[in-house]
Amino acid sequence: MYRYDEFDHKLVADRVDQFRGQVERRVSGALTEDQFKPLRLMNGVYLQLHAYMLRVAIPYGTLRSEQMRMLAHIARKYDRGYGHFTTRQNIQYNWPALDQIPDLLDELASVEMHAIQTSGNCIRNVTSDQYAGAINDEIEDPRIISEIIRQWSTFHPEFTYLPRKFKIAVTGHVNDRAAIKLHDIGIVVKQNDAGEVGYEVHVGGGQGRTPFVAKKMNAFVPKAKLLAYLEAVMRVYNMLGRRDNSYKARIKILVHETGEDEMRRLVEAEFAKIDASQMLTVPQEEIDRISAYFAPPAFETLPADSDGFTKAQTADADFARFVRANVVAHKQAGYAIVNISLKPIGGVPGDATDAQMDVIADLAEHYSLDEVRVTHEQNLVLPHVQLDDLKTVYDVLAANQLATANLGLISDQIACPGLDYCNLANARSIPLAQEISERFADLDRQYDIGELKIKISGCINACGHHHVGHIGILGVDKKGTEFYQISLGGAADENAAIGQITGRAFTEEDIVDAIETVVTTYTDLRTDGERFIDTYNRVGMEPFKERLYD
Amino acid sequence: MTDYHLVIDGATTPETWSYIDDDAPLNDAPIISLGRLKDQADALRARGGKLGVVLQADDPDKTRGKTSMGEDVHELAPYLDMLSLVSIAFPIYRNGRGYSAARVLRQELNFTGELRASGDVLYDQWAMMNRCGINAFELAGDVSLETFKTALGELSGAYQPAADQQRGALWARGK
Repeated sequence: MYRYDEFDHKLVADRVDQFRGQVERRVSGALTEDQFKPLRLMNGVYLQLHAYMLRVAIPYGTLRSEQMRMLAHIARKYDRGYGHFTTRQNIQYNWPALDQIPDLLDELASVEMHAIQTSGNCIRNVTSDQYAGAINDEIEDPRIISEIIRQWSTFHPEFTYLPRKFKIAVTGHVNDRAAIKLHDIGIVVKQNDAGEVGYEVHVGGGQGRTPFVAKKMNAFVPKAKLLAYLEAVMRVYNMLGRRDNSYKARIKILVHETGEDEMRRLVEAEFAKIDASQMLTVPQEEIDRISAYFAPPAFETLPADSDGFTKAQTADADFARFVRANVVAHKQAGYAIVNISLKPIGGVPGDATDAQMDVIADLAEHYSLDEVRVTHEQNLVLPHVQLDDLKTVYDVLAANQLATANLGLISDQIACPGLDYCNLANARSIPLAQEISERFADLDRQYDIGELKIKISGCINACGHHHVGHIGILGVDKKGTEFYQISLGGAADENAAIGQITGRAFTEEDIVDAIETVVTTYTDLRTDGERFIDTYNRVGMEPFKERLYD
Repeated sequence: MTDYHLVIDGATTPETWSYIDDDAPLNDAPIISLGRLKDQADALRARGGKLGVVLQADDPDKTRGKTSMGEDVHELAPYLDMLSLVSIAFPIYRNGRGYSAARVLRQELNFTGELRASGDVLYDQWAMMNRCGINAFELAGDVSLETFKTALGELSGAYQPAADQQRGALWARGK
């Protein structure tokens, strides 16, 4: 994992001091709320329905155990004993007091953490694959270039007052777990015929009220030149992006209105100029220095199988189900990737208590080479667990309500905070997610249904990713009553697609039944081994529509 | 009299320029619109003397249609030899087009004259503007030079190169 050097430490400390000054100027009245707003946003502080909310950055979703322990401490000391892991691999605290936030940031800085650029119209925290460095067949650990992008984009003087927020995601694997095609810029690590590592760059994806899958802008940007290419994309966007209407200000609208080919021409022209200056060509020594932090950890040489592990599965059916749903093969023999679902039946998706965070920190320290990951689907991962330790890890998780064996299943839903917290929402999301999860609580039924991603947004801003849910649910407001619209066929992986709306919306009373109808339509129509999304892509919308509305 | 005070290269400096409306006669040190510069380029070149231009970041007349993206800094290229000042307008601090315009002027078009930030130019933007190559600031009347200098020094380093002397940590480490 990357470790701060003196420069990184000093700059984060400077930033906390600067924000302390800004808070003081706001409290004294020297800054109006309107003038303070972009400053607090650039430091992760939102004004929500009930209170200020602080969003803490977890760059590319990677944490050390001491950092997870600090997140637990902050939940205890500054919040009400829990934190909320988000779809951008960050954590949010819903109840900090504004005047305590500078102290909170000081504590975060002591473990190399911050809330820089987690909101505001700037380049946001870079996100990546939660299995980075642990999964087989990765071309390169995507966190190397993510860290380089993190540094380049931090306090970038030219791109801090963009037309709108800007999100970059990176994957180093053909199976995209970072939803890169739904980002302003999505990057795929590639290898060319000469064996060199470079990057395929997609531009203009996004959700919100006008969803788009990103367009492939460049098939291979050489490693040392990626920052020059990104700066070119950003400059074209900053100069030409719309500022007259915040709903049309994202780069996806610029790409759409300009046209993919013209956009490519503009970016390439700017890239040629920046590249010629050489100023953004990253020195090889620095690439090597950062790469070294992401070298594989000290794995032990172990047999590929473990008798103890096999026996434990035979002896404990719950453990066997956990392994089946939540454990993924590791690239290193004798190790496994363990997913921790933050979607207990009837729980709030993505929430963890301070005690749970402490437990996970301890498990990471003792059994996962000190690492924890956060996923964009609001779960956590212990990336490097030995097969021999799996049962012990499972028992601790189970004792702390952290062993729900539902990864990728119908109760593993993404939901935005919704009307319970957010002042933009039209409808509640969390209670609906809880109801659906309770309706499908029976795990055997969930396994029978198989992989099915439900994503719920409380309004058209789509924070709950409903456009790319296999089943998407959108809360809409009709004359003061909450209704829910269903869409089908969305996907956030390497086959990214925007879902299609089924038809008229359902009431709060009818929506869970409607979801059940969609599911039984699928189970009636599927062929052997066919996942929901495959069946939908084969049969289309009509059979679902008939069952829903007849 | 102006409603701002001017800081150039870190020093309080008397204003010697004035913004001139398109239909008003020119004085010794006029700052004119891009439109007038283009319309009267030949006459202005023949006139000689000091000349400045203001670059607008939005388009109040909506003549550019729905994009209303403001004036293109590249349009200044043919006239830069006549210009000793470019004033970049920040109509509201949230509109950050001018940061790119400044870097293009300094680093692509190699403009070496006075580069000014005018309009809604606030404390927390000064350091970033400075890094993009802006060396002159039209500050609100009650801002002290000391406050300005404090703002410029709040961050002790930079991760990335821009239009100033800082190399950026990714390039400076190990050097």
